[in-house]
Amino acid sequence: MSSFATFAPVLDAVRGIGWPALRRVRSAVPGPHVSRVRGTSAEVVEYRPYRQGDDPKKIDWKLVGRTNRVYIRLSQERAILPTMLVLDASGSMAFPAPGNDKWELARRIGIGLAEVARQKGDPVGMTVVHPGGTRTIAPRSRRTVLEEMMHAVDLAPAGSGPLAPDVRAATRRCARLVIIADFLGDAEALLAVGRAFVAAGGELHAIHVVDAGELDPDPKKMLLTDPEQPELRRPMPPPARAEYVRRFAAWRDALARDWRHAGAVYSMVVPGSEPVRGMIRRITTPPGAARIGH
Amino acid sequence: MTRPPTSSPLPTVRFVPTASVRVTTVARVPQDLVVLLVRMLTAILIGAALARPVLTPTRRPVARVVMADVSRAVGAIAEVRDSARALLGPGDVLVVFDSAARVVPRGGADTLAHLARTARAGRVSSALIAALRAAATLRDRADSLELVLVSPLVASEVDGATGAIRALWPGRVRIMRIAAATDSAPRPGVVVHGGADDPVVVAAMAAHLVASDSAAAGVRVERGAASAADSAWVARGRRVLVRWPATDTPPGFVARAHVDTVGAVVAGEVAVVTPWARRWTLDARSRPRRVVARWVDGEPAVIERPAGAGCLREVAIAVPTVGDVVLRPAFGALVRALTAPCAAETVGPALADAPVQALIGSGGLVARAAIRPPDVVATPLVPWLLGVVIGLVLLELLVRRGARPPTTP
Repeated sequence: MSSFATFAPVLDAVRGIGWPALRRVRSAVPGPHVSRVRGTSAEVVEYRPYRQGDDPKKIDWKLVGRTNRVYIRLSQERAILPTMLVLDASGSMAFPAPGNDKWELARRIGIGLAEVARQKGDPVGMTVVHPGGTRTIAPRSRRTVLEEMMHAVDLAPAGSGPLAPDVRAATRRCARLVIIADFLGDAEALLAVGRAFVAAGGELHAIHVVDAGELDPDPKKMLLTDPEQPELRRPMPPPARAEYVRRFAAWRDALARDWRHAGAVYSMVVPGSEPVRGMIRRITTPPGAARIGH
Repeated sequence: MTRPPTSSPLPTVRFVPTASVRVTTVARVPQDLVVLLVRMLTAILIGAALARPVLTPTRRPVARVVMADVSRAVGAIAEVRDSARALLGPGDVLVVFDSAARVVPRGGADTLAHLARTARAGRVSSALIAALRAAATLRDRADSLELVLVSPLVASEVDGATGAIRALWPGRVRIMRIAAATDSAPRPGVVVHGGADDPVVVAAMAAHLVASDSAAAGVRVERGAASAADSAWVARGRRVLVRWPATDTPPGFVARAHVDTVGAVVAGEVAVVTPWARRWTLDARSRPRRVVARWVDGEPAVIERPAGAGCLREVAIAVPTVGDVVLRPAFGALVRALTAPCAAETVGPALADAPVQALIGSGGLVARAAIRPPDVVATPLVPWLLGVVIGLVLLELLVRRGARPPTTP
């Protein structure tokens, strides 16, 4: 049963972490992120000669009196960044049994990122994609939204289904989208949706959850089955194991490259490899990302 | 036989290259079913034997433990046989006793037919102990238990422990009292070889013990050193030679380092109280058959040893030559006790009514619940089970030998 007590360590760990936007946001609603809009706030950025159509209220009359020229004052606006988190709750996330480490890490990162965004004033929402029924929480900035998310992630991953339709629906609700999945389903369709979202000016984060048991399978397990496709069974003797490791690494590299080419921030997380706070700091402050206005 | 290994889930199994792998595992398929069956049966029987199974017998209303006296106190052994046979039923236990008890758990009727009177004294205490143990083994076969004592019950058969042992039985003891043997022979006359002023001679004469015909005397008191003729005389018949040296150390005794004074000497019911000078003590190498008299502190004063058909009595009592102790009736009674026939020939008086009533006790039959179960439970099935196990082991050897493929020349 999820509750504040369950996620309390995560909520405590993310205290003080900021999550600035990677680009100027388009929103006009006041918030913590630097906006593309230049308005008339008290923070003056520059003066510009008056042009026909400008609002006469922006004319600096004192400057007109000193210079006998008409200037209007421009200021830097700050705006909010509505954020949506999409969590993959398919059967492949229920690994390894019985702890379901992938899913546990995914929902902790989701709740942690939601809290990071919410505590800075951004509306935050969540979509949990489960074959049994998708649970969607619209972006809001009040604290109760976290409780709704905790209830939403209180489920056992199972089944299989496409992620792209729900991700596409989520893109319509936000300016920042976070996908937390293992991308073992419709990765190509997701990538297409992501490209479109970034092209429309959105900020996209792709968080790839990989378990250590997938990176380095137990050599004692000779016959393996896909939990989402039970008919897919393959033996893995030692020679095949080496080939598996090579193929999986190549796929991860290609996936990271594709997401980055699409303009997304790609991060891979492995349960137990580092503290959750470190993972969230790495996601919210990607290396090499240029920050603006901070 | 091949079979696929256990499948494990892996979400990224699609990256495993496609290949067919044959994995060989060992599957145990029983082939020698007969041997397997024999071994299983062997293991089951060994387990059953180690469990020590007990057969619960059918209970009867009453079970008896019959104690049959065959000691020298019994007048007619046929009377013992008849009394015991009338009481002994199937499953009852017979306890045959004289100075020792022997339990006959089965076939008591056959044993009764061959009962014979012994020359040993009877001991009711030992019979009661054996009967109590036998009753514990009978408790699972009957609802109630009864002890029956077939005996003449003379006084010498009861000792100080009899009452305490009897108290261990919570119910009544049924007494079948039979006729006791009688001391038919008259008390033999006594001849004392000593001086005319010897105090023992005086006491014997005062007690009217001296035989009128010394040749017909059955008891000889030798106040000096006994001769080989004396030993030959006593061995020829049921005679008693009392070696009571006036001054020398009696045989079987040694002189004490320091002569002390003791207050009394006791022989059966007779006690002579006077300051006796105790000069001798029993030699540690002596093997007396019984102690006839003791000093008041328990040290033997007179011992008896068998000698042929008769017995020798060694008296280590230094009779004072002064004073009037030899004139007292108690001393005369002591001389009478010391010149009594040999112990193996006496039966003694019958047990008084009060001790007999105490032996009978009160109450009725004893319920089985009142009897403590035996500490060791007999398990007659165990030897049979182990015997079958040995047979099965041999059978397995035969089966395996028969199943072995023939060797090619």
